[in-house]
Amino acid sequence: MFNKVQLERFFVGSVMLAFVSLVLSIVGIKSQLFQNIQYLLLFISSVIVLLIGIQSKSINFFSNRLQKQILGWLISAICSAAIWAFAQKGIQSIFPAIMGYRKAWNTLEPFALYATVVFIMFALMLIIIGARDTKIDRPGYIERFLVYNLSSKIAAMPMIFTSIGIFIIATLWTIYHSFTNSRMLPKSDFIGLGQYERLWSSDRWYMSIENLAIYGVCSLIFSLFIGFMLAALLDQKTRFENTFRTIFLYPFALSFIVTGLVWQWILNPDYGVEKIIRSLGFDSFVFNPLYNADIVIYGILAAGLWQGTGFIMCLMLAGLRGVDQEIWKATRIDGIPMWKTYIQVVIPMMRPVFVTTLVIIAAGIIKVYDLVVAQTSGGPGISSEVPAKYVYDYMFSAQNLGQGFAASTMMLVSVLIVLIPFAYLEFGRRKYD
Amino acid sequence: MTNSQNNSSVVDPRGPKPRKIMSRRNIILYGTLLVVAIYYLIPLYVMIVTSLKGMPEIRLGNIFSPPVEVTFEPWIKAWAQACTGLNCDGLSRGFWNSVKITIPSVFVSIAIASINGYALANWRFKGANLFFTILIFGAFIPYQIMIYPLVILLRDLGIYTKLPGLILIHSIFGMPILTLLFRNYFTTIPEELFKAARVDGAKFWGIYFRVMMPMSLPIFVVAIIMQVTGIWNDFLFGVIYTKPDTYPMTVQLNNIVNSVQGVKEYNVNMAATLLTGLVPLTVYFVSGKLFVKGITAGAVKG
Repeated sequence: MFNKVQLERFFVGSVMLAFVSLVLSIVGIKSQLFQNIQYLLLFISSVIVLLIGIQSKSINFFSNRLQKQILGWLISAICSAAIWAFAQKGIQSIFPAIMGYRKAWNTLEPFALYATVVFIMFALMLIIIGARDTKIDRPGYIERFLVYNLSSKIAAMPMIFTSIGIFIIATLWTIYHSFTNSRMLPKSDFIGLGQYERLWSSDRWYMSIENLAIYGVCSLIFSLFIGFMLAALLDQKTRFENTFRTIFLYPFALSFIVTGLVWQWILNPDYGVEKIIRSLGFDSFVFNPLYNADIVIYGILAAGLWQGTGFIMCLMLAGLRGVDQEIWKATRIDGIPMWKTYIQVVIPMMRPVFVTTLVIIAAGIIKVYDLVVAQTSGGPGISSEVPAKYVYDYMFSAQNLGQGFAASTMMLVSVLIVLIPFAYLEFGRRKYD
Repeated sequence: MTNSQNNSSVVDPRGPKPRKIMSRRNIILYGTLLVVAIYYLIPLYVMIVTSLKGMPEIRLGNIFSPPVEVTFEPWIKAWAQACTGLNCDGLSRGFWNSVKITIPSVFVSIAIASINGYALANWRFKGANLFFTILIFGAFIPYQIMIYPLVILLRDLGIYTKLPGLILIHSIFGMPILTLLFRNYFTTIPEELFKAARVDGAKFWGIYFRVMMPMSLPIFVVAIIMQVTGIWNDFLFGVIYTKPDTYPMTVQLNNIVNSVQGVKEYNVNMAATLLTGLVPLTVYFVSGKLFVKGITAGAVKG
């Protein structure tokens, strides 16, 4: 009627089901639903045990795998049952000493309920999935999941926790709450797209977007251009290459705060560049980017470029070194001038480097925050606001969480617009490494 | 390359063609590089010069002129007396906070990421690549969208505004790039070594501690350099997940310089700025090529 492995699954499943119903009846569940399930489970497990009893000759109850499975499931059953029992009143009357802890463990009750549900689901899955593998007679998915390569899975727990628990769940949480009317504290009071309407009708947000667009486009173009030029200059078998590279790259080791403060000082109209040029005789010279609302973002751009271009140069230099050196000999023999070789041969060959660099710059631009805070604090007025600062201010200063969530969701959307085509181009065609 | 006049010579000269040092090409090349290098060095120069001047001299002279009277007063003041809000014990508090944040964060994040990378490179299990892809995507997601749920998480754990909380945050957000770094490095280690260790009976942790770790010391150094500069320079997490008592140095520096009360003492500000930049700069100049290796290795394959 059944083959050996199927019966094994049934046996394990029925042991577990019987155990669950036993626990449920001992603990005594008040809910109507659970009382019915309890009888159902008891019935099913007794049928299965009966079935196995009829065919018991064909099962080796002491096979290694079966023992392992039963042991594992018993342990998990006992654990979840213990947690459950701890939170229940019935067991407290048997052991009065537990009563005192009851209050502290009140919070565990939902968890215990959850654990039991998961446990029952697992029991069902083991029967269903386990049975699927009977044709080739190998352990089911769950057993493979729990036993094979276990230490690797344990070691990767932080990564799994971070990728699922933080990156996915936290992102979804924020997106979910961006549709609510949260103010001081997050709450589930849905107002639809209200926060987004407010966001897109706010001058400050428009200013932030505009600034980010100017900063982004300019820093993309300039840092790619300057970075590539510097890398090309350093790639001419230049002497003192290391010295020059060290000089170009050192700002990258500094924080945006330090960068912002230095440039704030250099661009200071009372003491900085403006004063020096004026003292040379040009009395009407005006150069005060940080105090002029129209051009303040370019003052920030100057600092940003000073900090980041060295890094782009390094990436480009690595890319240039990756280009086959024979190319140079070939083009020299053909008498092609150097600049033409760069434009027509080398740059097309470096396409992957350019794409990666582009994504890195783009991902960095959207995060611009520290630089603005240090250099201008968003001033004068709101003329140098950026989205990241908008989010921070609404979340932590203005106590308007909903706005912050909506703005950060918009930031995510803009990143995805850049990232998804890139991911498609890079990883869509070939399998990820 | 520019001078090709001597192609009419009858006797072939031997050896490589001698290059003129002062050729037009060299002047343009080194001239450009020199100008750019000066542009890059000016802010550092201005910082140093300003921090060594007294306030009267700053008001009279310009920011590029070297100090007439060298004084270390601003440095001492920045370190021990500068005010943030009500506290007037200078940057030293921020410095020690940053040290207390950076050292454990670097240690924890590298330990976690290296083990993750090892599991991904040598003990790949089903679904591992999915998690890894999510992790890499996470590196590009704006942090702003994850900030508030993490505030709640830390509050529930009871470490919000405390140093362990910030350490946890740095370990989480350092993970994508470090895991990538370690994974890529471990895959380059010959698989025969790994197999030999397995034949000899070593298990997961045994291979990690006895084979992989000793063989990958350079990448550990690179990771340490990256993390030390990255965490020291962090501002966003510092300002969100700490309170004034536990502010890291960058946050405190920003508060000192951009505070609205009192007379602005530019020399003290610049000394404070330099002090904050000193640690990453030291790491950068000492590590040299390893720093470059770190930032490009993390990026090129990402």
